[in-house]
Amino acid sequence: MTQRGIDPPTTASPQPRLLRALTLLTALGFAGTLVLGLFVAGTDIQQGQVQRIFYIHMPSFFGAFTAFGATVLGGLLYLWRGNADWDRIAQAGVEVGLAFALINLLTGAIWARPIWNTWWTWDPRLTSAAVMCLTYAAYLMLRAGIENRQRRRSLMSVYGIFAFVSVLLTLFIIRIVPDTIHPVIIGASPQNAQGTFEATSGVVLALLPSLILWLTLMPITLMWHRYRLALRQEAVDALKLELLGG
Amino acid sequence: MRRAKRTTTILLALLALALAGWTSAQAEMPYFQSADFNVPILVGWQNQSVAGVAQFHQPSAAATIRVTMTAGADAQAAAAADLAGWLGLANLAAPVYSGKVNLADGTWQVRAYDIDAERSASQLARQAGDRFIVITFLESEATSRTLMLAIAQADEMLDTAEPELDSALQQLTQLRLDDLEAAGAFELPGGDWLVFQNETAQVAGSLFGNDSYIALREGPPGDLASLADAWRNMLLGFFITPDNSLYLGLGLAVSLLILAALLGSFAWRARTLQKDLAMIEQLGNADAN
Repeated sequence: MTQRGIDPPTTASPQPRLLRALTLLTALGFAGTLVLGLFVAGTDIQQGQVQRIFYIHMPSFFGAFTAFGATVLGGLLYLWRGNADWDRIAQAGVEVGLAFALINLLTGAIWARPIWNTWWTWDPRLTSAAVMCLTYAAYLMLRAGIENRQRRRSLMSVYGIFAFVSVLLTLFIIRIVPDTIHPVIIGASPQNAQGTFEATSGVVLALLPSLILWLTLMPITLMWHRYRLALRQEAVDALKLELLGG
Repeated sequence: MRRAKRTTTILLALLALALAGWTSAQAEMPYFQSADFNVPILVGWQNQSVAGVAQFHQPSAAATIRVTMTAGADAQAAAAADLAGWLGLANLAAPVYSGKVNLADGTWQVRAYDIDAERSASQLARQAGDRFIVITFLESEATSRTLMLAIAQADEMLDTAEPELDSALQQLTQLRLDDLEAAGAFELPGGDWLVFQNETAQVAGSLFGNDSYIALREGPPGDLASLADAWRNMLLGFFITPDNSLYLGLGLAVSLLILAALLGSFAWRARTLQKDLAMIEQLGNADAN
């Protein structure tokens, strides 16, 4: 116990062994998937080297999907059980998911420049992805603006649940709106799609590990780190309050 | 815990299986690939390609299609030098046909040559960077002469190749289209071909955009439309892999930067908290004293 009565593990607890192992595994996996995408997978003869961006572009969206999904789960469980841990997980999901969604959006724009001859077009999927990023950026701004802790947790849980509509919209819009130039890799591309390519065995060899990494290890590891940061933040805030009150 | 592990393993295995099955259903594109260019591999032709040179041979028609990247003063000179070098000729006679067509990837020079009594050749050439891409059709048959032409339509878009066929026949033979009989329209992988022939000559024509593709053969009729379709597929299927490595580098840099910013913000916030904690402890100690 410290002098102020705060449990030391809350402010400076050592990293659990599992988190350390996950962090190492994630770092190695990330390096490994980069090697697969950059050096093992063959060059797309029509698109050139820039097609390799796909090995980050698509998995990063699914990483964001996992993280934003955790926000929905955290929000629902917080509203149901009232345990602050679930809110911390929800918040961690938004921060990690937003970073992944930005990677998805920006790598898409960079790929589009040589393939579509433009950085950006108001295509249904591009627009919905941008709206998704703005929705979650607004989550963080709104969260920072609410002083009352209980009110903040409840309101952001509801926001986090409804914000997931933008993720589902981004995922399914090219299957609903046929007027899109965004290619579909799994399944037939829309008639207007430009820059589509064959998912050959070489592509899948690089894509599958990357997809699994971004879908599972990366969001879980990063969210765990962010969750621990939230715990420490709240403990330090509590100490500050106690000091001011004392 | 054990059940969760088992479920995860099963789900991953199913995902891998589905992707593997779906991958095996995707056919690899049959392309000849080199560092300089890519062309479709002609189905039913002998593939005689070597590094940097795509070459396909059709024994039944004594025809060869060859694609190379070569240096030269201009497209015509580079193409002529390439043909002469390939056939081991010191000099090449003047072309019997000269023209050009504008395609999406640039302007192609078109030439046709009567090499000697046995051989006739047709060439397409255009600039690619500081070199020239050359597509050559060679026929080595003593009893026939086959030329492949691509002609830019002079006026408005034609709805039939007949005027161009008649014009090419007059220009390169003593015949007119009226001297031949319609042999039919053939739907081939590259498009529809209109064929006219008699016992001694045969022409095939197909329209694509503002250009007419004409094949002309003097000698006993053969499968001219298929040869012409292969020739046109080689031209329209030709492409150079773009060099866009800089965009890949930019994409990687942006991705790593965003991840570094996220991790950096975690570290920075953790450090700030540590400082706050140290200060709180200092203040607490001061209060206690």
